Amino acid sequence: MQKMKILIIEDAETVRNELKDFLTAYGYEVEAPDDFQHVLSYATKEDIHLILLDINLPVFDGYFICREIRKSSQVPIIIVTSRNNEMDELMSMNLGADDFVTKPYHTQILLARIDAVLKRAYKQPEALSLTVGELKLHLANGTISYKGGHQELTKNEFKILHYLMVKKGSIVSREELMEHLWSSDLFVDDNTLSVNVTRLRRKIESLGMENPIETRRGLGYILS
Amino acid sequence: MKISAYLKERSVFLFVNVLLFLAVSVFLWMIHVPAWLIILLFLCWFTPLFTSYALEFWQRKNYYDPLVKNAQLLDQQYLLTEMVEPPDFLEGQLMYEILQSTNKQMHEHVNQHKRMQTEYREYVETWVHEIKTPIAAAKLIIDNQQNTAAKGLYEELDKIEGLVEQALYYARSSSADKDYLVKEFKLRSCVTNVLKKNAKAFIYNKIQLELAEFEDVVYSDEKWVEFILNQLIINSIKYSQADKKHIRIFVSRHEHNLVLHIADNGIGIDEKDIRRVFDKGFTGENGRAFQASTGIGLYLCKQLADKLHLGIDIQSVKHAGTEVTIIFPRSKVTLLEQ
Repeated sequence: MQKMKILIIEDAETVRNELKDFLTAYGYEVEAPDDFQHVLSYATKEDIHLILLDINLPVFDGYFICREIRKSSQVPIIIVTSRNNEMDELMSMNLGADDFVTKPYHTQILLARIDAVLKRAYKQPEALSLTVGELKLHLANGTISYKGGHQELTKNEFKILHYLMVKKGSIVSREELMEHLWSSDLFVDDNTLSVNVTRLRRKIESLGMENPIETRRGLGYILS
Repeated sequence: MKISAYLKERSVFLFVNVLLFLAVSVFLWMIHVPAWLIILLFLCWFTPLFTSYALEFWQRKNYYDPLVKNAQLLDQQYLLTEMVEPPDFLEGQLMYEILQSTNKQMHEHVNQHKRMQTEYREYVETWVHEIKTPIAAAKLIIDNQQNTAAKGLYEELDKIEGLVEQALYYARSSSADKDYLVKEFKLRSCVTNVLKKNAKAFIYNKIQLELAEFEDVVYSDEKWVEFILNQLIINSIKYSQADKKHIRIFVSRHEHNLVLHIADNGIGIDEKDIRRVFDKGFTGENGRAFQASTGIGLYLCKQLADKLHLGIDIQSVKHAGTEVTIIFPRSKVTLLEQ
C-alpha cells in the first residue's frame, strides 16, 4: 500500500518537528516546510494527500492559505488551531476545510481524525483484512478466521484485536489499549477490558490457535 | 411632592410671619384700630404670601413628580439625567447643570473601565492561544518518547490545559458582550468529546463510566457547553472515592426541557456547603481537604449557564455522591423569547 503524504504547515518549530516524528512513526510520509513565503507552492504539489494547517502563521494566515488552495485543489485540509470558538470553526468550514482540531490535541484523536478524513477523501481500497500468522481479521464484517474456522467478534473485541494486530510484536499496555478504545467512542473500564480480552482469547482459541494473546504481567498484552 | 412636606420646609418663615402679625394686631387693637382694618391687614399680609407659595408649589410639583415617577420606571436609573428637561427655576437649574456635568464625568469613568476590561480580556484571550502552542508541543514530545515518567508529565499538562481554559472562559464570562453562538448540536457528541478529553484521567483513576444512549439535539453554544461539562466531569473525577468509582451520564426528557444528569458516587458535599458551591471563591470542606480547589470552576459554570439561559443544579448526599443537572430549554421559541 502506498504511503499517505501529509503536509504540516505550522510555524512553531517544536510542534512541527515533534508532529513530524509522531506521524512518521504512525506510517505517514510527512513534509513540514519552514518557508512560509512560498508555502502555497508546497500545498499545491500533486503528491500531497492531506494538509494540517495552522491558522496563526507568519506572512499569510491560515484562512488565506486555505482559500488559495481551494481555488485550485480539493486536497483534504484539517485546520489545527489554538483558537477555540464556534466562529473560527464555522469560518474554517466555510473556507472549505474538511475538519477542525483545536490545540492542544490528544494525539490519538488527531490520528483518528486524519484517518477519517483520508478515508473519506480517497475511499482507497483499504486492506480488507489483517493477518498475524494464520489468524486473519476481516475488517468489513468484523470476523476472524483461522485455518478454515470462523468466529464473529463484538465491536469491543474487534477494536482490541485490530489494535493488537496493528501493533503486533510489541507490548501494548492496558491503559494504551483503553485509550485507543476511548478514542473510538468505546468507553470501557478496567473490568470490561479484562472480560473482553478473555472472551476474545477464548474465541480465538476455539478456532484452534494456541495462546494467541499473551499477557505480560504488569506491562500489558502482546500478539506475536 | 406632598403639600405638607412643602409647608413644613417653610414653617419657620410662616411661624415668624404669624407671630409678627399677631404682635402687630395686638398693638393695633390696643390703639383702637377697628377690627375690619385688622382683617384687611391680614388679607394684605397673607394673600400674596400664600399665592406665591401656591404658585411655587405647583411649579415644583409639576417638575419633580414626573421626574420621580420616571426614575421608578427606568430600569437603569442612572440614565435619568439623559431625559431630564432643564427646569425654569433657579435652584433647579443649578442642580441640573451639576447633574449634567457629574453624569458626563461618570460616563467617561465607566467607559475607561470598560475599555480597560476589554483590553485585559483581549490580552487574556491572546495569551491563552499563545500558551496552547507550547502545551501542544510538550504533549507531542511526551508522545514521541514512551516512558513512564513522561506519562505523569502528561497528566500535569492536562491539568495546566484545564486551568488555562478556565482563565479563558473566566475572561469571557465577565465581559458584557455576547460572544457565543447558539446553534443546534448533538448533546451526546458534546459529552463524548469531553469524555475523550478526560480519557486518561478515567483510565488511570480506574473510574467506571456508564454513558446512556441518547440522540437528542439541543440549542446552545457547543464550546461553552463543552467547557461546562468538562468542569463538571473534572470535579466528578477529582472528588471520587477510593473503591468502585463510578460516573453515570444520562438524560431525562420533560415537556419544556431536556435535562442532562452527571451523577457520581464520590465523596459528596456537606449539606451546609451545597447551597454555596456556585459562589465565587467558595471551596467548602471538600475544597479545604483537597487543596487544589480554587472555588472558580462551579462559579464559572453557573455564570456561563446563566448567560446561555441554561439551568444548572446540584444535589448531593455526603459520602454517597453528587448529581449535577444541566437543563436545556426544549424549543427554539423559548430561547428566542429570552
